Amino acid sequence: MATCSSDHTVKVWDLDEREQWQCTASWKAHSGSVWRVTWAHPEFGQVLATCSVDRAAIVWEELSSEANMTGRGGAKSSSNTWIKKTSLVDSRTSVTDVRFAPKHLGLQLAICSAEGIVRIYEATDVMNLSTWPVQVEFNCNICLSCLSWNPSRMHPPMIAVGSDSADNSAGGKVLIYECNDAARRWEKVETIFKVTEPVHDVKFAPNLGRSYHLLAIAAKELTILSLKNLKKDGNTNAGALSKFETRQIGSFDDHESVVWRVSWNITGTILASSGDDGCVRLWKANYLDNWKCFSVLKPDSNASEAEKATMQAGATMSTTPTSNVIRAAPPAGTMNIKRTSGWPFMNIKEDQGKMFY
Amino acid sequence: MASTVEREPSEFKLPVPNVGSVGLNCEWGLGQQLHVFQTQKSPANASGVQELKLGVENQSIFDIRWDAEMHDIARKLVNESHNIFVMLQGQVKSLAEPALDAQLRKASKHYRGVLKACQMELIQLAESCEDVTRKLKYDTYIQEFEIVQLIWSLCQIIFIDIAPGGLILKALLDWLQWHFPEGKYLAKEVCQDEQSCSHPKYWEAVFRLLLQGNTENVRLLLSLHTHSDAESFVAADELLRKMPHWTYQHAQSAAEFEMKWRHWREECIRRYEAGEFAAYAELEMIVQVLCGDEHVFRELKDYCETWYHLLVSKLLYQNPTVRLTDLTFHVKSSQAVFNQTGLSSQELDNILQAAFEFDIHQVIKDTCTYLSNPSWWFVAHLADLLHHCKQLDPQKLPFGSNLREYLLLEYATALMSHESLWQVGVDYLDFCPIFGSSYLESYIEHIPLDNERKALKVLHICVERKLSLQAQSVCKVMGMKCLRQERLGAALSWFLRSKDAVVIKQVTNKFLTEYCEQGKFSHLDLIDYLGPSMLITNSLTFLGKYREFHTMYDSGDLEGASSLLLSLISSRLAPKTFWMTLLMDALPLLDLPKVILNIQQTYEILHCLEELHRDGTASDESLSEAEVERAKVLRLALQKNLSRAIIEEGSIKIES
Repeated sequence: MATCSSDHTVKVWDLDEREQWQCTASWKAHSGSVWRVTWAHPEFGQVLATCSVDRAAIVWEELSSEANMTGRGGAKSSSNTWIKKTSLVDSRTSVTDVRFAPKHLGLQLAICSAEGIVRIYEATDVMNLSTWPVQVEFNCNICLSCLSWNPSRMHPPMIAVGSDSADNSAGGKVLIYECNDAARRWEKVETIFKVTEPVHDVKFAPNLGRSYHLLAIAAKELTILSLKNLKKDGNTNAGALSKFETRQIGSFDDHESVVWRVSWNITGTILASSGDDGCVRLWKANYLDNWKCFSVLKPDSNASEAEKATMQAGATMSTTPTSNVIRAAPPAGTMNIKRTSGWPFMNIKEDQGKMFY
Repeated sequence: MASTVEREPSEFKLPVPNVGSVGLNCEWGLGQQLHVFQTQKSPANASGVQELKLGVENQSIFDIRWDAEMHDIARKLVNESHNIFVMLQGQVKSLAEPALDAQLRKASKHYRGVLKACQMELIQLAESCEDVTRKLKYDTYIQEFEIVQLIWSLCQIIFIDIAPGGLILKALLDWLQWHFPEGKYLAKEVCQDEQSCSHPKYWEAVFRLLLQGNTENVRLLLSLHTHSDAESFVAADELLRKMPHWTYQHAQSAAEFEMKWRHWREECIRRYEAGEFAAYAELEMIVQVLCGDEHVFRELKDYCETWYHLLVSKLLYQNPTVRLTDLTFHVKSSQAVFNQTGLSSQELDNILQAAFEFDIHQVIKDTCTYLSNPSWWFVAHLADLLHHCKQLDPQKLPFGSNLREYLLLEYATALMSHESLWQVGVDYLDFCPIFGSSYLESYIEHIPLDNERKALKVLHICVERKLSLQAQSVCKVMGMKCLRQERLGAALSWFLRSKDAVVIKQVTNKFLTEYCEQGKFSHLDLIDYLGPSMLITNSLTFLGKYREFHTMYDSGDLEGASSLLLSLISSRLAPKTFWMTLLMDALPLLDLPKVILNIQQTYEILHCLEELHRDGTASDESLSEAEVERAKVLRLALQKNLSRAIIEEGSIKIES
């Protein structure tokens, strides 16, 4: 796992044999706050990219070292070295987000900057990561704060960008661009007008067999949109762009404050959001496709003794929620059923009308 | 859809201070696993350039999982039920209607058997366990298993086992006797006592057994009474003996049985009103029960413990030929009797009520909501079973597939985050027709490949299911890992499996560079046995052939070696950087007493040398001393060979 911080450093953590996270590398990556860090697919090796307010995006690779591998029996060397492979300094303003493309597009990287320009780089040689020529550059004309690749294989490459500009006259704050193979250019296919607040994070969900794409937007509220491609199959007009039907699946203000980051799980069924209330909330759709928050993770300095007892110093681990509270043993002969997470509440009266189909 | 009562999302507190601008953020692991860490609440955006200096001491990352604890505790349950599940799916495919029904019933019994066995094991574990918290955990699980078994057996009676004629009372009685064994225990205890009738629990045992329809044992107990010879007792005994029981063996129709039963009941009523049992209050109560009197049931409700017990008991004595479909009418009255007490738990009642009302979807929904950890296991398997019994509506739901698939997917997801049960999860995904394969694809890609064995397992799974992209990806990842550890041989073998020409070419180049530096090959056996995979890329073919050249040379086959070397040089297979080495290999062949290379071949080599110097490195100055030396030596040798070859070929051999 890699973490980046506003103290200009990047840390890399490894899970050791005892299932504890140890920080195996830490270095000063930029001369300003590092905004984001992201991993490339392990197929390309151990590669990281970071972006920062110092207008640069840097690609790092881990240096292979013998000592680490032979250290199983002997003393384990606790530090790996990461070397800078290339520095992408085309931007004239702070680079706000850097993301690797889905692996089926090869080793590509997209960055967006505060001046509104998205640049896509591609590594010419996977084994030697020093050269990353710019492939595409397009201007969105609005200050950008985040971007997300669409991981779906069934669709031409698609990027969503979000803007945190406070200017309301600029219209929609989330824009969707698609790569038009015929014209070899990226073109804007959709503007999301429903979201008018400054946007801090956008994420496409992994698309597993669904006929539509899901996009999560973190702004003043958490919004989930579905984008359905209206292009009919068999349309051989290669130059035509997709048209989308956008539908808002949900808009949630449970955080009661600004939502900063969103993250999808692997199958795109659970969304995690973190906001200004300091909590992480988990959202899930039931089989009726209704999204609800089913769990909240809160920081609390008054954690009970029992929890403290189950954790060790240094890197710590928690177990599932049900083990937190010590309950009295249920009296014998009665059935004691707990309610826990996993399913939104069903109202029997409503459902008895067989309306759930 | 706004429900009137919003359920609160469950809260989970992390023991980190809630300070000012420090909040939480998270990253996903595999399955239902989250890594949560502290972060600055407002990562300053591009426009604001605020860099807050926070220092969080001893920053740590929390690994959070949910709904996954059961899998550690009840591993055996997971594995065995998995076996049953897979077998069932196979039978569904191959068997036809009647045989399939039998199999389904058997499968249901198997599931319950496995559940019971697991529960027994847990009980033993809990007894021998020292740690208080763990013991509590075990206890809660045992309770939950008990509930699950209760629900499952009821579901089996109502939804799966179709009794002939729809008369289900016998089955329900069995169900009661299985799950409310208190009566039996008490009876045993009482029997062992000397003076049975004065045992404080004597009458309780009698009543409990009576309410469960266990008339044989009731008669036994009554006969232990000191006054068992009294007239009243004898009369009661006779009534009990005469009570008609519905059994499957007696081929009586329902109507016949009903008649008999009515006849018997009339006799009971007659004799009761005649006052035959007035001497003993308890006997009176017994006979009242036999008559099916409402009031006495209310009095005895404590021995029933729950409303469903009361329901069945009342049905036994008031309406033994009740049909499945008529059960709903009787539920309300039984529930009303119990509503005053606070012992009953709302959720379980709802589930059982839904079951009695034949509302299967409600059962499943409620079970999902109200049971905790075993819920996915239970619901997934039950739904699957009911689906095959054609009881569950296979209609497609808004999320894209039917209910059974949804539950199976949830169950598989819960298994995925487990370090070794993920393989079980994979099997479940195989049986989800719509979303299974795409879920599987994305999970397979994310499974951490900690070691070779695991990678091979994953690879095997991919190959079995023809997920070629994922297989390729796995091979590449493993190859890259080996490369990072400088294990070129292993890396090459992984990349060969992935059949990606570009990467293989680069690895081969690495091999060749290694040879240049060290003067020998490191993984001879790998290269020797490349076989047909040699042809994937030119570099690899070259490597293989080059090795062959070496073997030939070492074994003394100079003719073959030289012709091979020539073909290698002239085909230009080798990477440019390697040409010099290749050419230098020709040197020993030129110095032999016998002329091996003829004129044409020598010209070839010269040609190659010229080409190398012409378009390779820029000019003579950039070449190092050693290289220039080498080129000179080579040229000299080539010239000498050329002269000898010309002489030899030009001369006529005179045979004397």
